Amino acid sequence: MPTRHSYVDLLETNMLIRQSSDVNWWLCHYRTVQESALFPVPAYMMLSYLNAYYRYPELLRKIDAAMPAEEIGDRARETCTTLMSTPVGWCLHNFYLLGREYLMDLGLVRATDAVDDLVFVVDFWKRFMLAYHRSDAHLTTGSFGNRSQAFTERQLQVFESDAIPTAPGDRLQTAVAQFMATASQYALLAHCESRPGIQNEGPYRVGGNEMMIRFFLNLAEGDYPWLDGVAGSVPHGNLVIPIVMRDTHFTLLDDWSMFESEPAYDPANVAAVGLYTSDYLAEGFVPIGMSSADELADTFEDLREILRAATADLWKVIAGWTRDQMLDAGALTYYAIVRDLAHIAGVYDQEDWFTLDVRAQRFKPLMNDEYARDALGEMLGYLSYSHQASHEYTMARYSESTSHMESLIPYSVLTDDEFTATSGPIQPGWSSLPPKTALWTTTQGRLTQDELNERARKFRPQVLTEPYRFLDDEWVKTHWTDPRADELYRLTQQHSRTLAGRGAGLRRADLPGVKE
Amino acid sequence: MTQAEAPPIGATKWGGDHATPTVAAFHRAIRAIVAEKLVGDPRRWEEIVFDPKFLPTAEDFAAVEAALLDTGYRFEHSAQISLTESPEKYKAAEDAETAAQEPGADGDTVVGHGDNALPMTTDTEGVVRFVSTIETVMDMLGDGVPPETIAVIDDAGGTLTAPILEGFTGILCKGGTIKSHLGVLSREFRIPCLMAVEVSGLREGDRVRLESSKPPPDTSAEAALTGPTDRARIWKLA
Repeated sequence: MPTRHSYVDLLETNMLIRQSSDVNWWLCHYRTVQESALFPVPAYMMLSYLNAYYRYPELLRKIDAAMPAEEIGDRARETCTTLMSTPVGWCLHNFYLLGREYLMDLGLVRATDAVDDLVFVVDFWKRFMLAYHRSDAHLTTGSFGNRSQAFTERQLQVFESDAIPTAPGDRLQTAVAQFMATASQYALLAHCESRPGIQNEGPYRVGGNEMMIRFFLNLAEGDYPWLDGVAGSVPHGNLVIPIVMRDTHFTLLDDWSMFESEPAYDPANVAAVGLYTSDYLAEGFVPIGMSSADELADTFEDLREILRAATADLWKVIAGWTRDQMLDAGALTYYAIVRDLAHIAGVYDQEDWFTLDVRAQRFKPLMNDEYARDALGEMLGYLSYSHQASHEYTMARYSESTSHMESLIPYSVLTDDEFTATSGPIQPGWSSLPPKTALWTTTQGRLTQDELNERARKFRPQVLTEPYRFLDDEWVKTHWTDPRADELYRLTQQHSRTLAGRGAGLRRADLPGVKE
Repeated sequence: MTQAEAPPIGATKWGGDHATPTVAAFHRAIRAIVAEKLVGDPRRWEEIVFDPKFLPTAEDFAAVEAALLDTGYRFEHSAQISLTESPEKYKAAEDAETAAQEPGADGDTVVGHGDNALPMTTDTEGVVRFVSTIETVMDMLGDGVPPETIAVIDDAGGTLTAPILEGFTGILCKGGTIKSHLGVLSREFRIPCLMAVEVSGLREGDRVRLESSKPPPDTSAEAALTGPTDRARIWKLA
């Protein structure tokens, strides 16, 4: 019996795989080179791909049954979660696909295996991304020409109007620059030398200037067991920092959330700044210390000192880890990068996201530094795995190569029975790391896992309740005088220092906080 | 398609050789394990592929690595912990000298070059201190980073030196690019930093000057086609 999927299902799945495959090559070649003397990074990356291959399909089905991917995408747009351009836009389907490609080269799976899993993972990713990017109507940051404009006018008006002006060398600007440096360093360490904790969204035009929304994520005690204790004094899990830049044009924000600008980003060009927290239990973005420039500078300075201390404490913990613990922590950081999908849906289980499946564990003895580096390099750079090679007339996008990073599904599965549907249920797993013991720090207080899930299941941001969920900027364009538009804007303005209660009628020039 | 009709495990019509010796050896060995498991198994591939007993065991994979080590081959390491825990698997660390020295116009010696991650208005002077191990970082974390430290760091990651980075006067990183984590952090902290440094003849305590006034390299895709750009110099001061 052939697969239950239609021809069109497979056509679309293969198109999305190929699009990702093309962009991945460009990203891997031009956007970064990563290494670490502390963490065995390539080895943990390879393990994370395997864990994703074996576990994502079932976990995503569990999540989708509790809340459809497109609704989670809406949630992610309205609050700050870890589900932004890199975590879902790049990692979700690519981690799965890279695990598949690796196993295919070893001869352990074929392109016709786990077809249901593959079609579902790609479809889940697509539905999430379309909803998350509803405002800019692109699938990914890359497909928007390396730009992301997920936010709506009502959100951006609050960010711009509430942002507090800075001048070169003043106390606030200095505090912001120093905080950004310390937060970047802490986030890289907390994420085992990877970037999920540092995200960006934008740019947005603000008159003659541009605004980038910067995010520092997973800072407090939360899902990562290794932050228990060392991050006990970090008051917020996520920090959101809109920055308005003068004389700076952001030329690129890639699918890994790294930006470039002309001229290069210079803290002295920060013209205005805000500070918020948010998570999957929050009504939008909640300001922190934004009543005045002095209070905001105080807040950045205080947070910086907290993160400096946490960096030193965390580094001492990590410096005492075994290689196996470093492998597990890095692999789980990568693999669990999309776990806020489960948090939003109220079905989060630490066991699902912070253990390595027995099938992935088996590969650990292979993962010495050199093999892992070269296995990764062949898959992402040389494209020298056997299934990556296409026929000799091929000229791939960007690389001009005859190879593609990620393999398609053969259409033969529509007519014969040489395929399998799924890799099967999740198997038991474990980790060499100490188990999680602390509570989760959220915008609703410090909670247990059961409390997190219960509150998440009951919570629905007001702007996503009826009748507001489908009232987008295209509707506002012709309905700004509608009472529903006013109420929608007021819901978003509820925490705003300058716009609370102002409603939908304001144009940018009307904003009380506009600094031009 | 029966197992007998199938092409060799892992092979495809257009696939070629692996690009690296370790991957070639490992994948050849694992494919052989898979082929052996399939021999004599009357079931179709679709019945076998996700049978837990089909996947090679951890012991199988350990044997793959052991077989290569038995030939005398030793792996290159990237993380210090790998070499520390399993020195028998890895080549010993080498302090490679990667650049020729040349006399500078002012009597100082140019001992290397690198890509400037943070263009400044002036060059930067300081004292060379090698920061390559957890133990060195731990010492500096306890005692403080000595004044004027120009840290010479082997890797481009941002975590090894995380708790002490802010104390450096300058950084010479032997790996990575200006987009690597260490390059990113140096810009955030406004610490002069040269990445992908090729240097020779530097010793602990040497006084050096970095050409931090040099413009950064053009790292665009277009520039990658035109070859390396002008690099910042490193002088060993008399």
